[in-house]
Amino acid sequence: MTTLDTLLPAPLDLDGYRVGTPQRAGALTMVPIHGPERPGIVPPRSGLKLKRVVGYGQVELHNGAREGVAIVPLHLGYIQDAAQNHALCSAALLAAGQTRRFDDACCVQSGQGGYLEGRDQWFFVLPLELRARALRLRGRHDYAKLWPDITQLNRAYGLPSRGHLEQILSRKRATLTQFQSRLELVPGQLGALFFVGGTFAGLELAPDAGYFAEMWMALVCFAYGVAAWHAEPERAAARPYDAGSLAELRAELARDRAARLAEVASWLPAPGGDVRMVEEERYLDLRLSTVTGDGLTGQVVAEHGRPVYASVFADR
Amino acid sequence: MDTPTLLTHFRTHDTPLVLSRGGDLAWDDAELHRAAQVSDPEGYALLALVPGVLPWQRARVLLTTLATSQNGLDDRTRATLAKVTRALMFGLPPGYTVTALLALRRLRANHKHTTRAIVAFVLEHPDAAALIEARRPALVDCFEHALGKATARGCARSIREGDTGSDRLRRSLLRFTSDPAVAIERVRALYAPGTYGAVAPQEAPAPLDPVREHPPVVTPTNRGDIAATLVHLFMGGPAAELRPALAGYVAEATRGLPRMAGGVALVLDTSGSMRGYGEREWALMSQATALRLVLAELCDRLTVIESGDAGAAPAGSTGVGGAAPGGATDLASGLLDALDGGPDLVVIVTDGYENVLPGDLARVVATLPRAGVTTPVVLCQATFTRGDDLTLRDPAPGLPRQPFWHQDDFAGLLPWMFGHCGPGRDWIRTTMTSRLEGART
Repeated sequence: MTTLDTLLPAPLDLDGYRVGTPQRAGALTMVPIHGPERPGIVPPRSGLKLKRVVGYGQVELHNGAREGVAIVPLHLGYIQDAAQNHALCSAALLAAGQTRRFDDACCVQSGQGGYLEGRDQWFFVLPLELRARALRLRGRHDYAKLWPDITQLNRAYGLPSRGHLEQILSRKRATLTQFQSRLELVPGQLGALFFVGGTFAGLELAPDAGYFAEMWMALVCFAYGVAAWHAEPERAAARPYDAGSLAELRAELARDRAARLAEVASWLPAPGGDVRMVEEERYLDLRLSTVTGDGLTGQVVAEHGRPVYASVFADR
Repeated sequence: MDTPTLLTHFRTHDTPLVLSRGGDLAWDDAELHRAAQVSDPEGYALLALVPGVLPWQRARVLLTTLATSQNGLDDRTRATLAKVTRALMFGLPPGYTVTALLALRRLRANHKHTTRAIVAFVLEHPDAAALIEARRPALVDCFEHALGKATARGCARSIREGDTGSDRLRRSLLRFTSDPAVAIERVRALYAPGTYGAVAPQEAPAPLDPVREHPPVVTPTNRGDIAATLVHLFMGGPAAELRPALAGYVAEATRGLPRMAGGVALVLDTSGSMRGYGEREWALMSQATALRLVLAELCDRLTVIESGDAGAAPAGSTGVGGAAPGGATDLASGLLDALDGGPDLVVIVTDGYENVLPGDLARVVATLPRAGVTTPVVLCQATFTRGDDLTLRDPAPGLPRQPFWHQDDFAGLLPWMFGHCGPGRDWIRTTMTSRLEGART
């Protein structure tokens, strides 16, 4: 695994990005990505702020930085006690000092009253199982639009059939947040490939390592951790290597690891196919586009053909 | 004597020593104790002094030591056993000791050292007055078993009639005691009418384990002085102030402990999860580093293999005694690197999150026997509190594992890890002997 060139459609140029050594936690495999940084983008936790919820399905975000455009991550959501939790259906570009209202946000906690406020900025990213659907529902003003899918997800995971995403995010939080430690952010890492149970789940790229570090928990614990938690395999007994000395053992370990690296590489989607990119918005030279087709979907922010931000995932 | 197995048993097998009303003695691990005592009477007895050994196990060691003949043992060993016996008798809650002494009666053990011990407990216990009031029949049984019923009652009669030092009384009783005047008073009380409803003392007069800190809310800085100082150092605190203090705390923690003559290889997890995040940031790494600093003071040869991408330290994470934590955990390669140096013991210190690639450590450990490696390998697991959920944090179930979260845990952790290698067993013997001598309690 040395290149990502085939993962995003032309004319996006992924030259210069490198993948690192895979890490695994149960069913979740994460391959760190290093590459060229694009400084000056305002990150989601320290720069971007939830200002308020104006009405159900209407979320206001504010880029509080004095300079620098903020990239609102795709499927960003906020959770607060005694408030209807919300998630966005699309990524966005917010100029410095800009406040923007997203009227196509979705409530993710049916039956819960109250509006989110600017007091608590704890955020998540929608679980993989809901992301393709949420992306398709962007632009539709209906705060209850994701409830049927959340209900279905809960039912599939043996939880009460309700449109409450909080049943997973909050009540399973102790288990989900362990993915933050079970997988470890590599210094300088600005992206990752995620696989769940040997199947490609998503590609996440950030403008720089600081931005990605702020996304880390939301991605590994919630965007991809939920599916991995559900697919957690039983632990098998350790099989000894066929080695009669320390040197042989070291060689066997290296050989086995190489084989597993190759196996992870084989999980990547095949190149080609009918993948389309449609521009959604722009800010100066930054272009936010939606990618669809060939079992993948997501959004990408590019600048002069080079990706600055990407969240592209399996569309099952 | 299989020290690691025995010590683990001593620290986990928490079933009481039961003496039925009919006098039948029930303990399911009698054979384990007997075999260990026969193979190394002194080492077996000293092992009971290791911090963290359960009270009922200490009572069993007391029982076994007192029930077994000392024929063939040299004077030095006998002296050590006498000191261990005394430490156990007065280091246990009295109820445990009384049960063990009553069991001796059932076993008809009447060696001279048995007699001395029982008489010392009954007559010299710091809380003897209250204990006699509350447990008079049991203590009379013990006393009469020790001296013989006729002799004991004869002594009591002589004392009641005013005898304070006749040859007969001295020969039968007073030669076993250090303070004849006190002994006479105690025997008088022992055969006096009882007091209904007297409450027996529950606390050991000379507890064997050091007093532990029990913070109601655990934070990164209330888990011992060494770790607390390290947390401040890692967070960028003033090194000029913190480093001398750190050296002082490490010196305090290791004062009086002997050197460990063997070679120890420490595989230290320096990955990102050891740093932690939020309110727990630096908690695990600071305690793991504290252990590293203590080992560096104690071990003649300590080799440290850091496992993690330590080259790129997060801002403000100045490492102490090594690099700062970051990146992924490759414990399997760390273990192989450690074994290359031919140490007497490999200690893996980790939070248990193995992510490059999980399962590798377990497979490497499972292969070691067929690869001809007999070096003991143990896993010390850094946790935030004693109640951490470790379900998903056991990278190698085949390894002996011991969690630790507070500096106070080191008192039990060090003997546990050292007990797995030959030089370490000598270290335990020296350390516990030193405790008996009062150099360190």
